[in-house]
Amino acid sequence: MINIPNWIEVIIRSICILVGLFIITKLLGKKQLSKLSFFEYIAGITIGDIAGTLTMDLDLNLTNGITSILIWTIFPIISSILSLRSRKFRKVVEGNATVLIKDGKVMEKNLTKEKYSIDELLSQLRKKQVFQIADVEFATLEPCGEISVLLKREKQPLTVGDMIQNPSAIKEPQTVIMNGKIIDEPLSAIGLNRGWLKEEIEKLGILTENVFLGQVDQYGRLTVDLYDDKIQMPPSSSTQLLLATIKKCEADFELLALQALSKKTKDMYDKHAKWMQEIKNKVGSHIID
Amino acid sequence: MTEDYHIKVLLASIKSLHASFQTLALTSSDDKAKRDFHEAMMITDEMIDELKNRASELETGIANGS
Repeated sequence: MINIPNWIEVIIRSICILVGLFIITKLLGKKQLSKLSFFEYIAGITIGDIAGTLTMDLDLNLTNGITSILIWTIFPIISSILSLRSRKFRKVVEGNATVLIKDGKVMEKNLTKEKYSIDELLSQLRKKQVFQIADVEFATLEPCGEISVLLKREKQPLTVGDMIQNPSAIKEPQTVIMNGKIIDEPLSAIGLNRGWLKEEIEKLGILTENVFLGQVDQYGRLTVDLYDDKIQMPPSSSTQLLLATIKKCEADFELLALQALSKKTKDMYDKHAKWMQEIKNKVGSHIID
Repeated sequence: MTEDYHIKVLLASIKSLHASFQTLALTSSDDKAKRDFHEAMMITDEMIDELKNRASELETGIANGS
């Protein structure tokens, strides 16, 4: 048998295990990253540890090491499949959330059960921007160790839904230009094409090549970031202008209605002012931003 | 006559509104937004017609008067 130098063996081992680990991490999936259960967390660490030692320690038998890695990989996969199927199994493996605060009252028993001191609880709450227990309606300790907090009704942040009755739906903006190149897929996803994009860019008075990043929002408005940061882009005020024009027209119609001499024309202008109001209501909810 | 002048300015504004609504209706990706902009566009359409009628009425009225 030829005697290969140690360092070459280390290289070969490292590369093989690196590729193997890459495949294993893909198999285990993204869930592993969030360390949802303690078991998965430990399994991840152990796999890494075995792989690390295996690459460095040439005295170790490669077959033994790989078998061990495989066992540590297969068990988390099996346990995740089982916990998908059965609720009971999930309870045992992943654990339940523990209620720490209920109806605004701290559950002291559960705190002791989880070996959570009141200082720790306070510090976790502070991380969630809660500085007073009195503000909390309900809080649980999740299996992953995070605390989830439901604030009391009067302490909850204001949402759009509280202010506007029927806010228009929001859609994700599409990135259509990256590094000066037009990307067709997101463009066609919102039913637009290169011709439209070129026209919009021309309207802004710039070249496609100068655009570092271009995004289109749900109303088909293009916003760009240029390579040259010295160029000042005018803020997109077209929708504000639109709203202002609508308001101005409404006021103009009201004025005309006041000045109108005959009943017939006065009625017409009144009607138009009303229509303008209708338009404002219809369109207003879409162009507030 | 001020009414005549006002109507011309209004016509221009409303025509621009009409065009804006049209593009917004075409480029919006949300269905409700699309519909609302389209309806707004239809209303402006009707307004433009009536204002045009009124403008020509005024013009002929002046012509008759002088």
